[in-house]
Amino acid sequence: MTALRKYVAFARIAAVQAARGRGELYGRMAFVAVILGVFSALWKAVGEAGMPIAVEMSALVWYLAVTEWILLTPAPAYVDIEADVRRGDVAYQLARPASYLGAAMAQGVGVLVVRAPVLAATCFVCAFAVTGRMPDPRSFVYVVPFGISAMVLIHALYVLTGLAAFWLGDVSPLFWVWQKLLFVLGGLMLPLALYPEWMQWLAHGTPFPSLLAGPGSFVLGVGSADAWTLASRLACWAVVITFGALVVFRRAVRNLQLHGG
Amino acid sequence: MVGHGGALTRNSRASLWRFARALFTTNLNAALALRGAFVTQTVFMILNNVVFFVFWWVLLRRVPHLRGWRLPDVEVLFGITATSFGLVVALTGGVRQLGQFIEEGELDTLLTQPKPTLLYALGIRSRASGFGDMLSGIGFLAISGHVTIVTIPLVAVLIAAGSTTILACGIVFFSLPFWIGRTETISRQLWELLITFSLYPEPLFGGVLRLMLFTVLPAAFVSYLPVQIIRQPSVAVVTVLLAGSAAYLAFAVRVFERGLRRYASGSRFVAFG
Repeated sequence: MTALRKYVAFARIAAVQAARGRGELYGRMAFVAVILGVFSALWKAVGEAGMPIAVEMSALVWYLAVTEWILLTPAPAYVDIEADVRRGDVAYQLARPASYLGAAMAQGVGVLVVRAPVLAATCFVCAFAVTGRMPDPRSFVYVVPFGISAMVLIHALYVLTGLAAFWLGDVSPLFWVWQKLLFVLGGLMLPLALYPEWMQWLAHGTPFPSLLAGPGSFVLGVGSADAWTLASRLACWAVVITFGALVVFRRAVRNLQLHGG
Repeated sequence: MVGHGGALTRNSRASLWRFARALFTTNLNAALALRGAFVTQTVFMILNNVVFFVFWWVLLRRVPHLRGWRLPDVEVLFGITATSFGLVVALTGGVRQLGQFIEEGELDTLLTQPKPTLLYALGIRSRASGFGDMLSGIGFLAISGHVTIVTIPLVAVLIAAGSTTILACGIVFFSLPFWIGRTETISRQLWELLITFSLYPEPLFGGVLRLMLFTVLPAAFVSYLPVQIIRQPSVAVVTVLLAGSAAYLAFAVRVFERGLRRYASGSRFVAFG
């Protein structure tokens, strides 16, 4: 219980800081509003030429609203971890009676608590404003929990990327690569059904579709049967990412002890 | 302070040109000194642009055209925008730091130099990612099939006009701190909005938004008019484009000079390198 309280404190502090950093939040809200407006115009034009997928234009805008909500909510934790490593702050943080990894995850959850509701409201209100339609309200029963689970996993991937700073120093290039893979293979802007078969096959070998396209597809009419599949995929990837983060962190600490921070 | 802004007209053009060239060469050498970082940033920017293009590639495989726009037209759009933007950040990468210079009183060091403050501030940085943008932009133009050996000079003029408009907007957006204090996020977002809108086909937008894209957020002068000229060459549209981008630059320089009159020193000594 005491151990848990420590991480709750980390989460609370991060939540307070996220609430104060309004500039960034407003920036993300403005970005969502613009991008949904642009895509609404785009899908309208696509509709005139003949929709290449059997869903309505409004559903595709809602799909983008969900994927952008998931993508824009987590804070880029790799930046903080990289800075900790570069400045050497990580050395005294490791000596604290709390897990460095646990603290990083708790801080990410704290940020999500503040940002997720605000960005959800922005995304969904904007999507309604530009389409004038709502998806089946039952779809939100799946979108919200799966979306939040995906955000936590994306945050864990940010942390894992940040841990690479123990070897690489600058992890920005690594981040760019996996971020772009997330955009394309995750189906950020387009449902994967529109992709060529070889790209769909490639995408399903990665965690990315479970993080974006999976939760987003509920507003396209995907039902409860697929929810179980998505839940099991997310659970599997959670195990893989957690195990990977623990292994990488242990090696990083050993490396730090041998060579100094 | 005004004297430095006004000095643009007093210095001979040859002297200014030599100064600008020296700034760029120094920055390029500094960037190339960290060869690994330079190559990484260049390659990843190319990758970044290609990934964004995948969206259009996937979509236009399924839908042959969008209000008359086909895949080669989008390739030209990406080519013009990426090359123009790359040129700006490679040659005048300091534009993105202009707001920081103003907010934190870091213009002091530049004001003591016997060269135009704005030119110095703009040319103080060269970003390696700009070379990646330029390379990918040239690649998009090459595969589009719209550009031939004969039209290369025209395309170069169009890219120069697009770069001028992007730079002018950058100067205006990042000069906002002269009047309204800390605006880093707003300035950056306005600049990114300009680039975002420049990357979507013009016929998608109508009404008030379209008017905005031809005036306050002039994506039209960055990419829409250049693409229109490449698709259907017209002397009248070229004239409008060149006059418009020159007017935006003149306006931007004027805004910076007016802002410089309000500049309050940070009483800090900063070494730029």
